[in-house]
Amino acid sequence: MRKLILLTLAIVAGLSAGALAATQMVHQQGRMFSAESLSVRKGDALTFLNDDTVPHNIMSTSPGNEFNLGSQPPGSMTDVTFKTAGNVQVICAIHPRMKMMVTVTE
Amino acid sequence: MAGSRFGRSVLFGTVIVLTGAGILGLATVSFGAATIGPTHKLDLVQKPASGIDALKAQYKRPSTIPFPKDNPYTPEKAALGKKLYFDTRLSLTSAQSCASCHSPGFGWGDGLAVGVGHGMAKLGRHSPTIINAAWSSIFMWDGRLPTLEDQALGPIQSPGEMNMQIDQLMDRLASIPEYKPLFEAAFPGEGMKVATLAKAIATYERTVVSERAPFDAWIDGDEKAISEEAKGGFALFNGKAQCSYCHEGWNFTNEGFQDIGLSSDDVGRGKFLPDVIKMQHAFKTPGLREISRRSPYMHDGSMATLEEVVDHYDHGGTDRPSRSDLIKPLGLTSQEKSDLVAFLRTLNSDLTPTAVPVLPR
Repeated sequence: MRKLILLTLAIVAGLSAGALAATQMVHQQGRMFSAESLSVRKGDALTFLNDDTVPHNIMSTSPGNEFNLGSQPPGSMTDVTFKTAGNVQVICAIHPRMKMMVTVTE
Repeated sequence: MAGSRFGRSVLFGTVIVLTGAGILGLATVSFGAATIGPTHKLDLVQKPASGIDALKAQYKRPSTIPFPKDNPYTPEKAALGKKLYFDTRLSLTSAQSCASCHSPGFGWGDGLAVGVGHGMAKLGRHSPTIINAAWSSIFMWDGRLPTLEDQALGPIQSPGEMNMQIDQLMDRLASIPEYKPLFEAAFPGEGMKVATLAKAIATYERTVVSERAPFDAWIDGDEKAISEEAKGGFALFNGKAQCSYCHEGWNFTNEGFQDIGLSSDDVGRGKFLPDVIKMQHAFKTPGLREISRRSPYMHDGSMATLEEVVDHYDHGGTDRPSRSDLIKPLGLTSQEKSDLVAFLRTLNSDLTPTAVPVLPR
């Protein structure tokens, strides 16, 4: 029974890992984004992982790609899919020194 | 079922332990066009807590002041900037200068709950200090100005403050003969204009820094520099009291914006980000150098003493949706509170008195 449970968990985790591994990940350790700029195709997602020790509120007001994740505690991992080509200025609302530019290509 | 962990997967260069990653929320409707997926909650393997030496290393005071590439330091710029900073003729009534509200006598603030402007009318917020402004990347309580050069021109033109139209100011300065050669020396080929006025004032302001405090001597290894209570306060600051999450590093701020639950109607940064819940009642985290010279405290000067400030954080203030997730009742004992205050008092240096300059005629 225990082996079956472990096997199921392995498959589920493997599937999740597979799905997650398809996107680029943005880390937030030390109140900093892991990249100053990234490029992503229209319709693709970026994964925002709060692996910091404080909450972060990732958002953008760039037209066509606005989003607001709200205040997320450490450990939170969320995909954001960009639907419009162009430049997206992503910040943390709480820590505006945290800035990155996402270029969404066709 | 036995609660055995699944195990470790090394993903994306970070060690993440998946213990049944849960989905916190379904795709929320954002106010714009990007799509937000469900939020997964991971149990991160955090780095082990650093020892006291590694912690102290995070607080080491820098040895040089940063100046921006487009406005590097020169003694001529700083000297001109100092004269302008103390010159009351930069205000309409010739009664107020930058130094009126940002005075060396009051920790480079004014010792008032809120500032006083044109016609002695009370302003809305406490005058911030300019100490260590050289390290700031965002200015004003609500963060609406990006550079010190921008900020220098704000109060000059603000009708409630110095109430001086900038063209009128440039005419007035041009009519003071001794200013012209000072501008030429500081900005060869550019002379007296709005941009050089702002650059001179900002350059002077960047030279206003906190000097070496007893806390710094302790960081450097002198165990006799601060009391045992203050050392206990430092441990609480970084631990149970959770201050260092916002009042981070040698200058005691990471310039984040948070609502700390104060009972004030002022929405702060929320005015510019009305759709962002956590920005309502959010204000810029100030640094803590020279803090006991900078009373009263908070954006509205509503707290007269450091003891009141510590009590506020201990209680957690008003619980509302905009309040930072980091603010909550702390359960501090009275000894812990007094240790925290003892620590904060070690952040004062023997600031060199500032000589008021002789002004151009």
